[in-house]
Amino acid sequence: MNISGKKILVCDDSVLARKQLMDAVKEVSEGAVFIEGKNGSEAVDLYKSEKPDLVFMDIVMPEKDGNTALSEIKEFDNEAVIIIVSSVGTQDQLKKAIQLGAKDFIQKPFEKNQIQEIIELRLGGK
Amino acid sequence: MYTQFLGNYLLQRGIVTQDQLFEAMSRLSQTHIKLGTIAIKEGLMTAKEVDECLYVQSREDKRFGEIAIERGYLTEDQVNDLLSMQTPDYILLGQNLVEDGVFSYEDLERILFDYRNDTELYDLSLDVENQDAIAAIISKFFLVAEMPVEPTNVMYLELMFNSLIRFVGEDFSPLTPMVLDEYPITFGVSQAISSERDYVTHIDCDRETAIAFASRYANEEFAEFDEYVIAALEDFLNLHNGLFIVNVSNDTSQTISLAPPEITMEGVLSGPNKCVDFPVAYPFGTIHLIICF
Repeated sequence: MNISGKKILVCDDSVLARKQLMDAVKEVSEGAVFIEGKNGSEAVDLYKSEKPDLVFMDIVMPEKDGNTALSEIKEFDNEAVIIIVSSVGTQDQLKKAIQLGAKDFIQKPFEKNQIQEIIELRLGGK
Repeated sequence: MYTQFLGNYLLQRGIVTQDQLFEAMSRLSQTHIKLGTIAIKEGLMTAKEVDECLYVQSREDKRFGEIAIERGYLTEDQVNDLLSMQTPDYILLGQNLVEDGVFSYEDLERILFDYRNDTELYDLSLDVENQDAIAAIISKFFLVAEMPVEPTNVMYLELMFNSLIRFVGEDFSPLTPMVLDEYPITFGVSQAISSERDYVTHIDCDRETAIAFASRYANEEFAEFDEYVIAALEDFLNLHNGLFIVNVSNDTSQTISLAPPEITMEGVLSGPNKCVDFPVAYPFGTIHLIICF
C-alpha cells in the first residue's frame, strides 16, 4: 500500500522495538516518513512539532510513560491517532489507554498482519 | 518444558555432559520416535526385549513391530496403539542420547523410572503439558528456601521458562539455582517490579552470549555487540516481565507495576534480602536470570 508522505511517529525506549516496528510498516506499505522518539517527553514534543498522521507508542518508558504522553498529546490534538504497542497489557492499563483516547492496543510481540491492519484502517482511507 | 527439566536432571546427576545434551537437543525437531523407545516408555517392553528386537532387525529386513509381535512382546493392537501415540519431546531426547551412545536403552529405562519417582510425577504423558505437573517440578527443583514456593514465584519461573522457549528457543537446560548475597554484573539489563514486595529482575551474560541471544530473539543476525543487541536483552526482559504482571493482575487483585529496563555494564547487584541466580545453559552460552528481593 502506498502511504507516501504520511508521517508515523514511533515512540519506544528500545531502539530494537522501534526498528522492528518500522521494518514491519515498511514491509506492508511504502512511502512512510518515520519520526522516532525514545520516551514520553520526546513523543509529546515531536507530536507538536511534526504533527504525524499516526503514532505508535509504548507504555513503559523512562521520563514520561506512554499513557501520560498519550493524555498530553490528546489534550493538544484531540484528533491524534495513537496506537499503544506494549508488552504490558493489564486490563487496567488497557482500559486507561482507551479512556485516554488510544485508538488501538497491540500486544508485543506483534504480528506483521496486525501492523498491516492498523496501516490500512488508519492511513488507507485518507 | 519436560525436555528442559529432564535435561537438567541428567546434567545434575552427571549422566550427560552439557555438550552431549546440546547435541541431542539440537536434533529434536528432526527426530522421529522409534517404536521401541515408546514401548519402553509405556512399560510394554523391557529395554532388553527392545535391544533383542533391534539386533534381529539389523539382520532381517523386517519392521520392528513385526519382530516384536513374532516374539510375543507386543500384540498387533498394541503396535497400532503405539504407532498412533503422540510422543513428548523428552522421550525423543532420551532416544537421541541412546543413539549417540551416551547410554543404553536399559539405562534410559532406569533413568525414566528414577526421574518419575524423583519428580513424584507418574503421568508425564503429555501431548498436552500439564500445568500442575510443571508447577510441581518448578516448586521441587527450582525454588529455594530463600525464594519460597508461593504462587507468584512459581508463576514467574514457569513463565520465564516459557518465554525462553517461545522467544529464544527450546534447546536450553536450566541449571541449579544459586542463592547469593550479591551478584557481580558481567553485562546485563535490570528491571524493577513493584508489588506487595519489590523485586529487581536482571538478565546477565557475557557479550558473545548476548549477541547470540539477541540474534535469536530478534530473528536477525547480529555480528557485533551493539545497541541492537543491548536493546534485544532489554526487550526480552521487559516482554517477559510484562507478561508476568499481566498474569498477576488478571489472577489476583494485586497492584503491580514495572519500571523501565536499565542497562547495567558493571557493578554489583543486591537486594534487601537475597539474590537468586537461575542459570540457563544454551548451546551458545549461559544466561543468568537473577531475581533480587
